[in-house]
Amino acid sequence: MDDLLAEFLTETTENLAELDVALVRLERNPDDGETLSLIFRLVHTIKGTCGFLGLPRLEKVAHAAENVLGKVRDGVLGVTPDLVSTVLAAIDQIKFIVASLGTTGAEPTGDDAELILRLDAVSNGRAVPPAAAPSPAAPPVAEVPAAVPAPSVPPIAAVPAEQPRPAPESAVEAPQSNQTIRLGVDVLEELMTLVSELVLTRNQLLQLARSRESAAFSVPLQRLSHITTDLQEGVMKTRMQPIGNAWGKLPRLVRDLTLELDKRIELVMRGAETELDRQVLELIKDPLTHMVRNSADHGLETPAERRAAGKPETGHITLNAFHEGGHIVIEVGDDGRGLPVDKIRAKIIAKGLATEAELAGMTDNQILRFIFRPGFSTAATITAVSGRGVGMDVVKTNVERIGGTIELASTVGQGTTFTIKIPLTLAIVSALIVEAGGERFAIPQLSVVELVRAGTEAAADAAEGEPVLQMINSTPVLRLRDRLLPLVNLADLLRLRADEARASASRRHIVVAQVGASLLGIVVDRVFDTEEIVVKPVAPIMRHVTMFSGNTILGDGSVIMILDPNGIARATGIAGSADGRSAGGPPAVAKAGRREERAAMLLFRAGGAEPKVVPLGLVARLEEIGADQIEAGADQVVTQYRGRLMPLIAMSGTLDLTRPRQTVLVFADAERRLGYDRCMGLVVDEIIDVVEDSLAIQLSTNRPGILGKAVIAGRATDIIDTGYWLTRAFADWFDAGEGGPGGNARLLIVEDSAFFRQMLEPSLIAAGYDVTAVGSAAEALALADAGARFNAIVSDIEMPDMDGLAFVARLRAGGPWMDLPIIALTGMTSPAQVEAGRAAGFTDYVRKFEREPLLASLRQCLAVSAEHRLHA
Amino acid sequence: MTEPSRVCLVVDDSRLVRKVARRILESRGFAVEEAEDGKVALESCQRHLPGCVLLDWNMPVMNGIEFLKALRSQFGPDEPPVLFCTTENDISFIEQAIEHGAQEFIMKPFDEEILVGKFTQVGLL
Repeated sequence: MDDLLAEFLTETTENLAELDVALVRLERNPDDGETLSLIFRLVHTIKGTCGFLGLPRLEKVAHAAENVLGKVRDGVLGVTPDLVSTVLAAIDQIKFIVASLGTTGAEPTGDDAELILRLDAVSNGRAVPPAAAPSPAAPPVAEVPAAVPAPSVPPIAAVPAEQPRPAPESAVEAPQSNQTIRLGVDVLEELMTLVSELVLTRNQLLQLARSRESAAFSVPLQRLSHITTDLQEGVMKTRMQPIGNAWGKLPRLVRDLTLELDKRIELVMRGAETELDRQVLELIKDPLTHMVRNSADHGLETPAERRAAGKPETGHITLNAFHEGGHIVIEVGDDGRGLPVDKIRAKIIAKGLATEAELAGMTDNQILRFIFRPGFSTAATITAVSGRGVGMDVVKTNVERIGGTIELASTVGQGTTFTIKIPLTLAIVSALIVEAGGERFAIPQLSVVELVRAGTEAAADAAEGEPVLQMINSTPVLRLRDRLLPLVNLADLLRLRADEARASASRRHIVVAQVGASLLGIVVDRVFDTEEIVVKPVAPIMRHVTMFSGNTILGDGSVIMILDPNGIARATGIAGSADGRSAGGPPAVAKAGRREERAAMLLFRAGGAEPKVVPLGLVARLEEIGADQIEAGADQVVTQYRGRLMPLIAMSGTLDLTRPRQTVLVFADAERRLGYDRCMGLVVDEIIDVVEDSLAIQLSTNRPGILGKAVIAGRATDIIDTGYWLTRAFADWFDAGEGGPGGNARLLIVEDSAFFRQMLEPSLIAAGYDVTAVGSAAEALALADAGARFNAIVSDIEMPDMDGLAFVARLRAGGPWMDLPIIALTGMTSPAQVEAGRAAGFTDYVRKFEREPLLASLRQCLAVSAEHRLHA
Repeated sequence: MTEPSRVCLVVDDSRLVRKVARRILESRGFAVEEAEDGKVALESCQRHLPGCVLLDWNMPVMNGIEFLKALRSQFGPDEPPVLFCTTENDISFIEQAIEHGAQEFIMKPFDEEILVGKFTQVGLL
């Protein structure tokens, strides 16, 4: 029903209830001017409002009644029982018409000529003509106490007997098909939960019935099934809200932006009434706001530019929402300059995201999609509007987090349109069903990056790039393209009885899952299909088991757990969790207040019995190289490796060429797109293990090639200085690209762990930066006060006293370092933390130990800030 | 905050009329505030003077004319502009309203065309 009509009916019903009481009071006290004007006003309002809706029959009756009452008010007519009766008859007739409006949405057919004739007669002071309808009896009306409405004297036979006469006290609650009530969201949530429960029970029943072939059950079951579906839809509907609710602030935002950017922008919103689940609505608000901001800031041209391009000065941003299948589609478009493919192409190459050859094989649209890559921003200058370092990648992440997709279409000179498609609800998600140890599990499709079938080294053929499963003692890792991924065997983790046949199979199924900013391989026995599952929360008794995010019931009735890859990573310590499970670190160290840094490390032996360790993130590959493949030259030992010569450096100093096979840690420099492509092999005696441990470091820097000692698994272990070994192979390892990529830019490192300072400093210096390192935010702030100047800051997040977030917030608040690029360096990179970091003001986020991403990030930040200065 | 000149205060005892007016005015870029009688309207003006007022005459507590008198005596003769609503039954009120400082009158029931036309006439649109 039209909501104006609904409003009219509610309001008129209230007014009518009040009228009944007031008329009775007036008849008793004909001189009560206040009651008279109340009656007049109520009838006047009814008449006045019918006009807005085009209700001619109602309006005529109300108008005639108003005329009578007007004359009473003006003192032309006196209050007589006859007059009151006639007006009451009119009110009854109004009620009848309103009742019909409430049920059918239209005025009933017929006319009120006779009633209007009587009203006009009264109005003109003539005697009431002999009415065909029985004249309402005045005496009973008079006897009724004022607080109670007059008994329904039916002067008009047409008034339906069952039509309830609303009492004044309950007017608002009077049964009316169009009334609204407010109720708490929790009630709706509870209903939704119960309905999900019902759906699952129904599914189980259907499954049972199918196997029984029982006709007696099938009919009522069919009915139950339909009712359940209807009920589910009905309850889902109550959670729906128009998307316009998420757009409410946008007109104001655009208005402010037009002033700020000195542009002329008109915001067009279509389909604001399109409904979606309120939970989804909440989650989509921010990305939408960001996209509108982006369109205003980057998409639309200035009025001068538009004039020059022959376009109207006013640019348009169009929001369009509509339903399509079980999804809501939201388009955010502008008629601006469009995305410049050439500039994006150049930037992709400059950033090393793809090679020219790779780009040649891509369509324009594929190239444009690079704007969704982290840190990619096409604006030449960073403006205050679009923020710093927050780009379309964040929008994409947010949209994908709620199971949505984002597409874009752009035509140069004509504009850009982003199309977001999101599910109407989150209560049902798509999940991958897998099996491990004879049990099935669901992994939300959202966190699955890819499915890999990997063999052990022996089983894998030599094809380059094929994922290989390497067992390092009992710890498996996956070599996938250029990365080593930590692996978790699901059956082992959950202590399920492993399926012997599958566990020993030469090839295993691995689900590569996204965990924050890193990847994790989950080894499973079988992979089934994807399925739409109803997400049920984990029972409280199991809530502490963070590996599960919920459970669900499959169509066949089996209850299975939904895995949470983040929880799995936490359970195994792979994501560098902050929980202080100190594995063997001497208590004295912990007491000293040293913060524990957990990391995956490769433990090996080389040149001595003492184990050595290197962060796993620095190692590209582990190889066994046969003696026949090794060539010893005059001053270098090399091997043919992947089509080129790779120098081998022995950690022990001299390479024992008598060994049949050499164990080699391969370090590769990923910057092949910048014109250098190199790798070196560090020959060690044996690989011991991959361990996840906290680093408790005691420094000893007097030995070349060793950064210091740490206690790993209760043993003193040397931490190798990779920078030293790399430069042993290539003296200019870090110098490639004209005086080093750093170009003598001044860097400040803020890091409480001496170990990390020691590790970062040499490689950054080697990369051509002028590095200053301090141990706390306070020291850094002191440098700022002393007037020190830097081009960029690399800061740790977890620090005692003032942490990285507070530090960056302090810098961003003002002062000489306000606009410096600041890169966060942390072991913890869950999306929430990344977001918090960005919100606090960090330009970029890089995981600790990952030297390449840090250098790439530095290059990018410094390039952007240089551009910024040029334009400033 | 919306610019004060774009705020229209709709004074009418009928929710329906306020809703109709709100729809039309919001579609034309006004922020709409509502009051169900003259007293509430006057209190609203004392807190925050709107850019213009759409005023019904027949209301409980304080009717349109009383409100208009109070508004003009408290805030001066011209600001904010007031558009006075009335029906064909009460032509006499139009004179009274104009006399007390209303800029224009609007006959009820109004629709988008009428309302927008009147608002344009007095330079609010």
